[in-house]
Parts: sequence; structure tokens; C-alpha cells
Amino acid sequence: MLRESMKIEGQGVDLAGLTRGSSAGVDVPQAAELVEFVEAVVARDAQRTARVRARLRSGLGEAGLVDAAAITAAFHGFVRIADATGIPYTTAAGGRDVPELREEAGINEFYRVRDA
Amino acid sequence: MSAVSFAGADLPIRDDLLEAHERAWAAIARPGTWLTGKQRGAAAAEIRHAAGCALCARIKAALSPNAVPGTHDSMGELPPAEVELVHRVVNDPGRLSESWLQSVLARGLSDGEYVEIVGLIAMVMVLDTCHRALGLAERALPAPVAGEPSRYRPAGAKKIAAWLPLVEPEDATEADGPMYPSPKAGYIYRGLSLVPQSLRDYWALANEHYLPGQYVYQFDKSIRAISRPQTEILAARVSSMHQCVY
Repeated sequence: MLRESMKIEGQGVDLAGLTRGSSAGVDVPQAAELVEFVEAVVARDAQRTARVRARLRSGLGEAGLVDAAAITAAFHGFVRIADATGIPYTTAAGGRDVPELREEAGINEFYRVRDA
Repeated sequence: MSAVSFAGADLPIRDDLLEAHERAWAAIARPGTWLTGKQRGAAAAEIRHAAGCALCARIKAALSPNAVPGTHDSMGELPPAEVELVHRVVNDPGRLSESWLQSVLARGLSDGEYVEIVGLIAMVMVLDTCHRALGLAERALPAPVAGEPSRYRPAGAKKIAAWLPLVEPEDATEADGPMYPSPKAGYIYRGLSLVPQSLRDYWALANEHYLPGQYVYQFDKSIRAISRPQTEILAARVSSMHQCVY
């Protein structure tokens, strides 16, 4: 989804870097803050979340911050449904998630470990 | 704790987001398909409680999630199989397996109950995470609504593609009620389809947080207050931190 949306804007993205938590290869405004926001929320780190929330409020605006929180929350549900029901990941992203892309993003590594 | 979603927020909360939260909590409190309102409320409380479980922390840190002995720190309201389901899905969803799922079912949980609880976990995680991300306290759990579960099982449910039976779009019947935004709905939409009401409740909530189905593949537009690439950066990082392709 990220790669497709970046393509529309004529940009590329370092998916492997993003998978590891680096926003260096992502030319999107506030990319570093968005990544840090997710990491703080997933870690349930209230102080870190508050710090990056203040930066996002300034960078994205109040409505943007609300949507960033809502989208971050949404994926806390999607991942649990996907992982708890064992739906086939090869059909993720409407089939746009081709094998080469999964390898590039490091996703296959997750499954190699899990299925070992 | 407040009995209203987004209480104390000093940000402009979208009306549709606020309404989605209130509808979701009302749905959680009602009798479901296989569980009563009281059982669903107990599951919601356990979902919140699970985050502090010491056994789950050891499992998460272990090389293999199946080699850690111990007992979950539970509230004592749910049977052990439901506690195991709630705790593992909340705390370590990226390392679940079909054999683990079968071990949970073998302890006396039906596949319908399993799916209904997964739907509750997903909903409570979305609701509470949204509050936490905005620096807000958790909303108080609603009082359970009395009544009997519907015990509805879709006639077209089949175990083919996933660990559990799903209703493929072409097998959905009128009796199932509306389930999919399109006949090509991806598997993420189908995951809860063994319990159609859970599917509807979850997606009514999720659509107001991420994107309704008709916008998901429209990469050139954003209906949110951030751009589509910004949206997908959030999505990708949450997914990778959970070791999930979605």
C-alpha cells in the first residue's frame, strides 16, 4: 500500500528500512515523527508518545494528529485478526504484495522464523 | 474513567469517529453470536488486563513462545482457554500458529467463540489504542446488556484458505446479512466471517479509523487529514512491529 501510494506521487521508498524502523529512505513530510509515534504507541510509552504527539500536532495540525492516532489504532486490530485467524498473507494488499516485495521488505523473514 | 469516548480531548475529534467509538462500545456490551453480554464484558476487561501479564512478557521475550511455563495473570472471570486466547492475541500476535489455535480449541472453546473473541480483541485494541495515542484515559467499560446469543452459524462457512472456516463472498447468503464491501474483498475482510455480526461490528469501527473499502485502493486520494503515503507509513510500521504482513 505504501509503495503504491508513493508511486502515485512519483517517489520511491526503502521498505526494508521502514520495516526496521528507519524513515531515512522515505521522502514524506513528518515520516520520522510518524514512525516514532507508532513505536511509542505500540510500546505503550506514554511519555514518549506525548513528546512526539506535540511534534505531530505542530507538523500535521490537530485534525492530522487525530487521524494519525486513529490509523495507528486501526492497525492494532487488523494485525490481530490476520494473525489469529491464519488468513493467507500471500493475498495481502489485494495481491499487489508480490513475492519480491515481501522479500525486499523483510516480511518473508518473519514467516521463515514463525514456520521453522 | 469516563463513560464517554474521547472525554477530555483538546483536539477536534471527527463526529464519525466519535460515533463509531460509541457504537462499538454498545455492540461490545450486547449479547453476541456465541457469548452473552456479560461474557463479552468479561472478555473486554481481560483484554485490558492482559497488557500487564508477567507470563506474557516472558513469552514475548522467549525465542520460542511455546517453551515458557507458567500461568497467565488473569482477572479470573474467563475459562483458561479464553484467557490463553486473549493474552496471546493481545501480547504476541505475530507468533501464533495453527497448532496453537487447535490447542486452544481442544481446551473446550468452539471455533465460533474463538472468532467472536478475536473480534472483541480487535475492537478493544482499536478503541483503547486510539485513546492512548491521543493521551486520553480509557473509556469505562459499558454495563452488559441482558439477553441470549443468537448462535447463528453461516451455512456457507468452509475451512479452505485460513486456519478456521470462512465465508467466501460467493458463499454468503441473505441470512448472513451484509458482510463485504465488494465480491473481491480481501482475506482481511473475511477473517471474522464465521461470525458475521462480529465482522460487521469490527469493520464499522475500523472503516472510521483507516479507510472504508471503496477508498483502500484509490492511492491518489486521501479522505483523511493526512496524505495517503503518511497513512501507509503508519500502517506499515504498526504491521512490521507486530511482525505481520498486514
